Amino acid sequence: MKEIDIPIEASVDRNRTNPLARVFDELVRFCRSRSMFMLHYCTGCGAIELPPAMTSRFDMERLGIQPMVTPRQADILLITGYVSIKTLKRVILTYEQMGSPKYVIGICSCTVNGGMYWQSYATAKQLDQYLPVDLYIAGCMPRPEAVLEGMRKLMDRIRSGEADGWKDYYRRYDWYLGNQQHLFGDDWQTPADVIGEASHYDLAGPGTEGEHTRLLQQCQKPLEPQQTFFQIGGSLEVKGESHE
Amino acid sequence: MRPENYQAISHPPSNEYELNFGPNHPGIEGNYALKVKLHGDVVVAARADGGYLHRGFEKLMEGRLWIQNIALVPRICVPDPVPMEVCYSMAVEALNDMEVPERAQWLRVLQLELSRIAAHLFTFGGHAATTGMYTTMYWGVADRDQILDLFEEWTGGRVYHIYNIPGGVRRDIPAGFLDRVSHTMDYIESRLPDYDNLFFTNQVFVDRARDTGPMNQQQALEWGVTGPNLRATGLAFDVRRDDPYLVYDQIDFDIPTEAPGDAWARTLVRRQELKQSIHIVRQVVEKLPSVSGPVRTRIPNPLAWNVPPGETYTRVESSKGELGYYVVSDGGDKPHRVHVRGPSSMHAVQVLEQLAVGARLEDVAQIMFSLDACPPEVDR
Ligand code: SF4
Repeated sequence: MKEIDIPIEASVDRNRTNPLARVFDELVRFCRSRSMFMLHYCTGCGAIELPPAMTSRFDMERLGIQPMVTPRQADILLITGYVSIKTLKRVILTYEQMGSPKYVIGICSCTVNGGMYWQSYATAKQLDQYLPVDLYIAGCMPRPEAVLEGMRKLMDRIRSGEADGWKDYYRRYDWYLGNQQHLFGDDWQTPADVIGEASHYDLAGPGTEGEHTRLLQQCQKPLEPQQTFFQIGGSLEVKGESHE
Repeated sequence: MRPENYQAISHPPSNEYELNFGPNHPGIEGNYALKVKLHGDVVVAARADGGYLHRGFEKLMEGRLWIQNIALVPRICVPDPVPMEVCYSMAVEALNDMEVPERAQWLRVLQLELSRIAAHLFTFGGHAATTGMYTTMYWGVADRDQILDLFEEWTGGRVYHIYNIPGGVRRDIPAGFLDRVSHTMDYIESRLPDYDNLFFTNQVFVDRARDTGPMNQQQALEWGVTGPNLRATGLAFDVRRDDPYLVYDQIDFDIPTEAPGDAWARTLVRRQELKQSIHIVRQVVEKLPSVSGPVRTRIPNPLAWNVPPGETYTRVESSKGELGYYVVSDGGDKPHRVHVRGPSSMHAVQVLEQLAVGARLEDVAQIMFSLDACPPEVDR
């Protein structure tokens, strides 16, 4: 896992020079910040403070934030606590299915630095090594007020165009992929074609491809349909290990 | 998506197919998954797929001091953390042959019962949401927050309190706190008729929950079911009464049971337990002013606390069932081995796999909520 220095040219596309385009961009960002669908993946204990935050007492809906059940229609991926390695695979899979622009919020200290599971063998310690995190809400666990405050911050950052972690994922895909391979093994692959998407969004840069993506290409095999988990007939025999 | 990943899956010519249910599914309780095999929309086989929340608690506890583990244990079961603290503290006290002052015991009972009320309100909400009644969920979560406010005033933490330590509790209650407890109990009791009208006697709920996921008493005993799920099969077993700990032997309460053992009975048992817990809290509130004395005994320097060698098993009744801690000490300043007997590991794995068979797909979430399984405690 080595750091690569890539000039982040985020400020370049933040303000286009054509005044009309700038007005348009401003409007788009305003709309985006006011209607956010949130996919909360209950990865850890922080999830228990979300029902109070979403329901009548603190009521997130007044900020235009609503829970959404499928990743493809969601804008925010909320990681609510420690991510075990098994969960992290699903989180990455979920993240890559979401449509851009997408934002990741890490709730709880455990996503920042491992929190109280710093010496656990089963959890991933720093979420931002594997996914671009736009905002952290620290605390063990953060109160609903803190969650709401974090959401307000994210709205401000979306309006000002600073919340562009998803672009960073395309620009430095090689680094993220390297960290993922380090954790999951060299044959780690997801169904998403991130490099293709990067060139589609015109975000492919020097860090998009590298040694890790080459490794991915080498180990790439077409995803096979999952082996049957049960034998036909309803018995509980396991035919093949279809996961992990 | 790469185009080559869009592949038609060759499928045997039958109505049977497999579905992943969870881990990120609105109907599932927390981060937990099931693989179900369906015929039409009837489940013919189910396999629990846990481990998404595994943190290796039992290993982590071996590497921390006795007192540090107090901060770790409540994380094992998030909706109902207090029994974890109490049970672990009781185990350490048993190893040390330590007496807990009486006032601390009453305070612990108060905490346990408040936590049970909060956990049950949360479960009703979840169960109602799986049958499409979201109002109950909004109400349940809002009423649970009243109890969390009490906890916050009392201990400083909304969800995790880290209030019980081996030897007693950390501090006494604030002034005027008992009045606020009785006030909140009055409020929650006055809400119960509303819950009955909205949810428990609601025809939608009764029709859907009746005969869903039934088990009989013998099955329940074979599968290691405890707590409200066992009492819903007609057996009045409650650790609080049958193996009294703390001061439960001085408290008067009933053990509600129901006979049918289906999702409806399980939820109804919890509904009646809520009432009993309110009754217990009232008794504690009445008794507490007359019990004076310290709230904890002196413990040795916690940073160099060598607990005498030995092993012990303590158990309490949590809102999910029987919760036990098996703790072994080798005389060092850290536990040699800790095993947590969580009730949910039985409920969410072997019981759920059995009960889901024969149910319709839309009832699987309901069965899981009616078993009140707690995924972080399954995986630990
Ligand atoms: S920071 Fe605390 S509350 Fe949040 S996931 Fe970690 S242990 Fe749980």
